[in-house]
Amino acid sequence: MRFTIFQESRKGQRKVNQDRLAYTYSRDTLLLVMADGMGGHAGGEIAAQIAVRLFIERFQQEAKPTLKNPLKFLQDSMLRGHQALGSYANQFSMLETPRTTCVACVIQSNYAYWAHVGDSRLYLFRQGGLIGQTKDHSKVQYLVDQGIISAHEVVDHPDRNKIFSCLGGLVDPVVDLSRRTPLRTGDLIVLCTDGLWSVYPQEEIARALTGTSILKSSPTLMREAELRGGPEGDNLSVIIVRWGPETIVDEPTTTITETLGLGEFQTEIDRTLTLTDRKGAQRDLTDDEIERAIAEIQATIKRYRR
Amino acid sequence: MGVTNQALPSGYQLLNYRIDRQISRGGFSIVYRAFDDSGAPVAIKEYLPSSLVLRTEGDIVRASTAENLTSFRYGMKCFFEEGRALAKINHPNVVRVLNFFRANETVYMVMRYERGRTLQQQIQMRQDQVSERLVRHVFMHLLNGLREVHTHKLLHLDIKPANVYLRTDGTPVLLDFGAARQTLTNTRPKLAPMYTPGFAAPEQYREPDRLGPWTDVYGIGASMFACLAAFAPQAADARLSEDHLVSAKKIWAGAYSDNLLEVIDWCLRLDPLERPQSVFALQKAIRDIPPRKRKLTFLDTLKKKLFSEVM
Repeated sequence: MRFTIFQESRKGQRKVNQDRLAYTYSRDTLLLVMADGMGGHAGGEIAAQIAVRLFIERFQQEAKPTLKNPLKFLQDSMLRGHQALGSYANQFSMLETPRTTCVACVIQSNYAYWAHVGDSRLYLFRQGGLIGQTKDHSKVQYLVDQGIISAHEVVDHPDRNKIFSCLGGLVDPVVDLSRRTPLRTGDLIVLCTDGLWSVYPQEEIARALTGTSILKSSPTLMREAELRGGPEGDNLSVIIVRWGPETIVDEPTTTITETLGLGEFQTEIDRTLTLTDRKGAQRDLTDDEIERAIAEIQATIKRYRR
Repeated sequence: MGVTNQALPSGYQLLNYRIDRQISRGGFSIVYRAFDDSGAPVAIKEYLPSSLVLRTEGDIVRASTAENLTSFRYGMKCFFEEGRALAKINHPNVVRVLNFFRANETVYMVMRYERGRTLQQQIQMRQDQVSERLVRHVFMHLLNGLREVHTHKLLHLDIKPANVYLRTDGTPVLLDFGAARQTLTNTRPKLAPMYTPGFAAPEQYREPDRLGPWTDVYGIGASMFACLAAFAPQAADARLSEDHLVSAKKIWAGAYSDNLLEVIDWCLRLDPLERPQSVFALQKAIRDIPPRKRKLTFLDTLKKKLFSEVM
């Protein structure tokens, strides 16, 4: 397998980042997973973490080095994730089960398979055009389907955060599975949370990434998206994969998995840190940031107090 | 004499803590012993970089220039990283953070007060050789704590005898996470790297991208070495150009078990890949103690005798 991959998560203007994302691959199979813990519910951050970890762990148990049935793997992992959140809540006698959205994608033998729950999305672009995408399990998507509102009204709609399927909810999640979708060299797979898609329409994402080196264009896209989020900006995350060897620029950026031994995995989990400036530039803290850091540390101390 | 930052005076009321005395002073902070509402002792670390003189009298920390304020605020990030790192860890062998707050225009971290002394003091006080039992005891417990730290995707990056506290009951506590870094996402440290010559691993000087559990493992090896030698091993950057470090196995052959000495040498390998890759791997190696003081059976004695005769 050859591909170029980029993943990043930004906190936006929120106190905590409840997005979690990771990718892992064996020699022959790649898994991408992203979860957006649901704020307003207890431990959205924990939920997202559990979901992502569970996918990674199951993948590493089952991809030896390929998955027998990728769609079944995705479906089962979603349901297991849902159950894991229930037992987590039970174990810690939580009043409410932590909840999260989840989108995951498996790429194997030049085919992509994906599944999602909630409103974290996957887009598949080919030569700048959208050829595949997930459909949110949200109230606004329902309104769009019924022709009550237009797709462009989604991002400003007061109910845009209401989703009817998630991991950790009262009822079992509705898991949407994709078809087995053949990939071509140069195809772009983009996983993102609502913090990104609500400020960056898919046409613009396609435009920003097509014909570029994604390792260069993606950070720009994220910066721009965070700016667009403004003072109320939500957490935003992406995983972007360009399938096949990098043809745009001749850089040693392509991941080549043939060098991995059988039974070996390479994993990257992204958890955005507060206060660390990715640019590494010397930047001092504002009063507000200091207060937020202290509040976060105090909350952590409380959470881990025995 | 240069002007230094004024410590808070004894009896000073800091929120609901009463300052008793200054315990120590480092490059970035002053540590006090204080008492909480119930009269229980706590250790309070005050962020106050010594390179910036910010308090010549009273209690409020004031930056004299805008530039100073920028540096002061920037360095605060380290302090937050430490707080953030420790807040998550609740382990008997890792210092416990109890509170974190802002006052006097700076920030404070309240930690559990531990009675005892640092491993550094312990090493320096000892007249005779440190016993293998003590070394094993201290490091087995310490490694449990370090494993917990790594489990939380954190690296300590400044493991040395001065940062290991020995409680009066002999159990160790890992202190001072001022250099700690979150590992999985930010491999490149954003702040000026801090390292202690002799205890810092070679990759800390040259290849910050290669930091990992093995980097702390080097610090552990160097600390064990220091326990035996009463001095630090040759600094890693010097070793890279000319390695004068004599292996523990050569220096202390016979005085300590081969197993312990081999483990120390293993931890001190210059190539990160050649060291134990995880604390668990290291613990496993230390745990596999060859049966040393097993009583010799008649058969053993006989074998030994025959063997020596043959030789």
